[in-house]
Amino acid sequence: MTNHWIDIKNTDCCLIIGSNAAEHHPVCFKWVMKAKEERNATVIHVDPKFSRTSARADFHVPLRSGTDIAFMGGMINYILTNNKYFKDYVKNYTNASFIVNDNFSFNNGLFTGFNPQTKLYDKKNWQFAVDEKGQIRKDPTLQHPRCVINMLKQHFSRYTIQKVSDITGVSPDNLLKVYEAFTATGKADKAGTVLYALGWTQHTVGVQNIRTSGIVQLLLGNIGVAGGGINALRGEPNVQGSTDHCILYHVLPGYLPLPRANMPTLAEYKKKTTPLTNESTSVNWWQNRPKYIVSYLKGFFGKNATKENDFGYNWLPKGDIPKSERDGDYSYIYIMEKMLKGEIKGGSIWATNPAQSLPNTNKNRKALENLDFLYMAEIHQNETTDFWHAPGVDPKKVKTEMFLFPSCHRAEKEGSISNSGRWVLWHYKAVNPMGDSRSMGQIMIDIMKEVIDLYKEEGGTFKEPLVNLNWYKKYDAELVAKRINGYYTSGPNKGKQVNGFSELADDGSTASMNWLYAGSITDDENRMKRRSLKQTPMQKEIGIYPNFSWCWPMNRRVLYNRASVDINGQPWDPSRAVIRWTGATWEGDVPDGGAPPMAMKGGKSPFIMLKDGLGQLYGTGLVDGPMPEHYEPIETPLRNHGFSGQLNNPCAKLATSEMDKIAAPADPRFPIVLTTYSVTEHWCGGSETRNVPSLLEAEPQLYVEISHELAAEKGIKNGDPVIVESMRGRVEAVAMVTVRITPFRVQGRTVHLIGMPFAFGWTKKGIGDATNRLTVWAGDPNTSIPEYKACCVNIRKADKVTELA
Amino acid sequence: MNYSRRDFLKMAGAGAGALALGGLGINYLVTESYAKKLKIKGAKEVISICPFCSVSCHFIAHVKGGQVVSTEGDPGYPISEGALCAKGATMMSMINSHHRVTKPLYRAPYSDKWEEKSYSWMVETLARRIKDTRDKHFVSTNEAGQKVNRLDAMFHAGSSQMSNEECSIVVQAQRALGIVNFDHQARI
Amino acid sequence: MSKAFFIDTSRCTACRGCQVACKEWQEFPANHTKQLGWGSHQNPPDLNCFNYKVVRFTEFKADKRVFWNFFPDQCRHCLEPPCKVAADAHVKNAVVIDKDTGAIIFTERTRKISKTGFLQMKEYCPYNIPRRNEETGIINKCDMCLERVEAGHVPICVKTCPTGAMNFGERGDMLALAQNRLAAVKKDFPDATLLDEGSVRVIYLITHKRDMYHHNAMNEKPAQDASMA
Repeated sequence: MTNHWIDIKNTDCCLIIGSNAAEHHPVCFKWVMKAKEERNATVIHVDPKFSRTSARADFHVPLRSGTDIAFMGGMINYILTNNKYFKDYVKNYTNASFIVNDNFSFNNGLFTGFNPQTKLYDKKNWQFAVDEKGQIRKDPTLQHPRCVINMLKQHFSRYTIQKVSDITGVSPDNLLKVYEAFTATGKADKAGTVLYALGWTQHTVGVQNIRTSGIVQLLLGNIGVAGGGINALRGEPNVQGSTDHCILYHVLPGYLPLPRANMPTLAEYKKKTTPLTNESTSVNWWQNRPKYIVSYLKGFFGKNATKENDFGYNWLPKGDIPKSERDGDYSYIYIMEKMLKGEIKGGSIWATNPAQSLPNTNKNRKALENLDFLYMAEIHQNETTDFWHAPGVDPKKVKTEMFLFPSCHRAEKEGSISNSGRWVLWHYKAVNPMGDSRSMGQIMIDIMKEVIDLYKEEGGTFKEPLVNLNWYKKYDAELVAKRINGYYTSGPNKGKQVNGFSELADDGSTASMNWLYAGSITDDENRMKRRSLKQTPMQKEIGIYPNFSWCWPMNRRVLYNRASVDINGQPWDPSRAVIRWTGATWEGDVPDGGAPPMAMKGGKSPFIMLKDGLGQLYGTGLVDGPMPEHYEPIETPLRNHGFSGQLNNPCAKLATSEMDKIAAPADPRFPIVLTTYSVTEHWCGGSETRNVPSLLEAEPQLYVEISHELAAEKGIKNGDPVIVESMRGRVEAVAMVTVRITPFRVQGRTVHLIGMPFAFGWTKKGIGDATNRLTVWAGDPNTSIPEYKACCVNIRKADKVTELA
Repeated sequence: MNYSRRDFLKMAGAGAGALALGGLGINYLVTESYAKKLKIKGAKEVISICPFCSVSCHFIAHVKGGQVVSTEGDPGYPISEGALCAKGATMMSMINSHHRVTKPLYRAPYSDKWEEKSYSWMVETLARRIKDTRDKHFVSTNEAGQKVNRLDAMFHAGSSQMSNEECSIVVQAQRALGIVNFDHQARI
Repeated sequence: MSKAFFIDTSRCTACRGCQVACKEWQEFPANHTKQLGWGSHQNPPDLNCFNYKVVRFTEFKADKRVFWNFFPDQCRHCLEPPCKVAADAHVKNAVVIDKDTGAIIFTERTRKISKTGFLQMKEYCPYNIPRRNEETGIINKCDMCLERVEAGHVPICVKTCPTGAMNFGERGDMLALAQNRLAAVKKDFPDATLLDEGSVRVIYLITHKRDMYHHNAMNEKPAQDASMA
């Protein structure tokens, strides 16, 4: 989230799209209701299905799953053609005036520089034109035909109401209703927020879905302001923290890129990963990257990290350089490919259930059989721990050696987690771990300690990173937190905690396991434990609690808040001020850096994390295009979509094993769109909540929500058992026939959509098994997040039940 | 007395509340108090956080004799102000669940059952597997001859259920082993 | 003291925090529920001796719009409880009224009421609330979390509710809150109304006409009944 949960109350218009907030973040909905009741805010829900969120929205707009770019592209077109954008904001705080170089073009669904063999673009073609000093060429009058705002205008001019309606299945009236309501926030004294979640990310165009909201929110001047922003409602308990600490192949903690094979030295790493800019008002915060990587290495290897050995840089693994869409991608999609082929021999699965919650489950379950060994930490047995005796599997043929460590519940350990608004919150230990269970931290410490001892005693292949590791004896959350925060390793302050990331250095004099968390626990205070509700009147106005817990970065509660003021530092909306320049200093929230407002001497641009300091209406960072473009999901009921001849995202990541079958476009065998989702009463794959009797009582069996129209066509009645089939698998479910699912009118014909939760698995008898046996291993090219939200299926009445019996 | 509901309603509804229950000969002025004993009275209160969505509602665990006897929302967390959803409301059941794994379990290759093992046996046996696999399959250079120092033959599928501190530990451990096949729920 | 709930269904998101928190506080076991042959989010389908509270779901289409109404159903703690009339005829003071709150309490003594007596109590209740544990014979329903209320806490369902649908306090305050909310909600929902606010301690605000809810959402039409009398 750029903003935070309470801030939703400050909005004038809440666009919930790609999220079912009331069902999946139920408690946050109090702030949506507050905006509605106290500000008279309009709440809009755009989603394929009418849900509990829609029930409390002012209006629900059903949209065919996978057509969000068309929907939002129509809004961008509406803003630009009707001059609905916030002129001062766009002019001063975005790259609207930047001129795109002459090489760039867009032709029939492809941007310049696409290589169909590698499925990669050469992004050099998308760059901005520069002058002789290396500065970006701009046209402040916004007249130049190749300046960003005119490029946008041209690109999205194809997204007419009629065309968007034709492809999304949303009526023209409904499109206009949403566009009018939301774009009314493009004024200084109005704010609109976008709440999204997995409904946007889980598509082969996931990141570009989100980019559309970036463009809309910048055009309307809604970034940085109270009641605005782009708010990813993070899905999991500590997914914000686990992402910040980067349990992800491509980054090290604090979003430092993974070293790659073409970065043989630390110097080369710094050079290749540190952005440079010639824009004089840009803070370009990532220029500090060298300080963060060196401090990380120093924390990682302790005193064994020295200037002479590049702080142990070469003891870290290096990924391959992406030469095609799949090289150098070590994410789930390719982990499962390699596991199925037997290239991966062993490993660990910790508190996650891939045999239930990854797409094309039949394949993943098969892949696990090819491992030599697997170690797991879990609180309950689930479809992954017990895959070796799943229905239809003969344990006597499964070699995989399994080690299952019982892990304890959060209430049985202390530590911190980070909520979606980046608040870092301390939790305490209420009781001892049950039985012989332990914290996952303790289990990992013990296993590694044993491995390190073996290397110390016996030697072995490339033992350096292990024997030089700055490791722990036992799990002490506060000690680890201190290492994460960072401390001085030499000099007069040696042994003292750093107070913030500005104290981190690139010479080895500081260590920090995550620069973003610098300031969370100092010598004075564990700020994550703070519980004070003290606020200034200005903070109270918008619900900022600076003394409750601590928030990264530097306790800043609203990101990009320098964009909430005009170039003189005065709030766009004084009644909803986030920060204000008093003439000498800033008051309110912690500003994005202390520099004076933009119009003053030494003033800086507001988007400090972006290289050029300005919001990117056109961005050169993504792999699949500088502007979003509609493509159909990998499996689609359509043969063409009318925006271009390019049916799917040309850069999409695809699994290619024999088990990864994909239906042809408009395959008559699979004419129905399936979308999948969570359910309020269960948690994701469900292995914890299915084992809580009162939650299983509330949602007891796998169901499929279908429209009355489709039910009538197929002769299915409410409560009937049905079979849902895709190219990859077949699933039993109970039909829930409902007015909440509506058939879509697309290209003049009816397209049906059905929806299923994925929380039900075979380890609980009679409740059904993985919905993901139907879904497809196709991923967004930027993130590799799979397309859970749209694939093609068929449905029929079942003669008998086995999985539901 | 043999009223049907409809009869009763007719009587009760006759005239503006004319017929009070007292009129039916019932003494409803009861003087007793019927409250049960409050089970959380005297319990130690410990703050923890619901392990589900990232609203991160805080809850109070009421602890007696080392056992969680009740859980409810923490009104001091300004986001939830004491509220919980259905999932968050079940923290006590979740913590005390009899279904939890409480012993280290081992399944030998081709076996059809789990066996209980001691924690130290698990750690020692597993450490040996990890070392053997790493020693055998470690990759110093890639196909292009570039130095990569990594372990392609192992993977880690991680969790957003861990605290920040645990995440930091797991990342450090897995990267020290040389693992790049490394992912978790943020990508699904 | 005289307590009341105000349940504002216009704010309810059916997160079912109340339903589950109630079970958790009462430490009730789960019922075996199924979707086969049922096909609804409303689970368990009805109140039972282990569910003092069930969120009821009603969906319909009107004027091309979909509506989905949620109704966290529970005992209304009537000012003049018909269940007590029925119960007293069988076992005196099996059902009592708490002096401090006005809560209607089904005591242990309900165990002595015969099955016929129980059916009579159920029949008398305009809201179809009382349930009997067939194993123990005890008749039960919401007890207003009396022990919590006496200790200065609100009932667990109210404590748990995220959106302000569940409210609890002095009856006068709840009535005032209900009227305020009704006035506000009427702007969006002209058919909004309070249910039986003059005769119960659990006052519901609904957004649609009463026939858009389950059969026992409100008392049978009192005006009509009165004219019949």
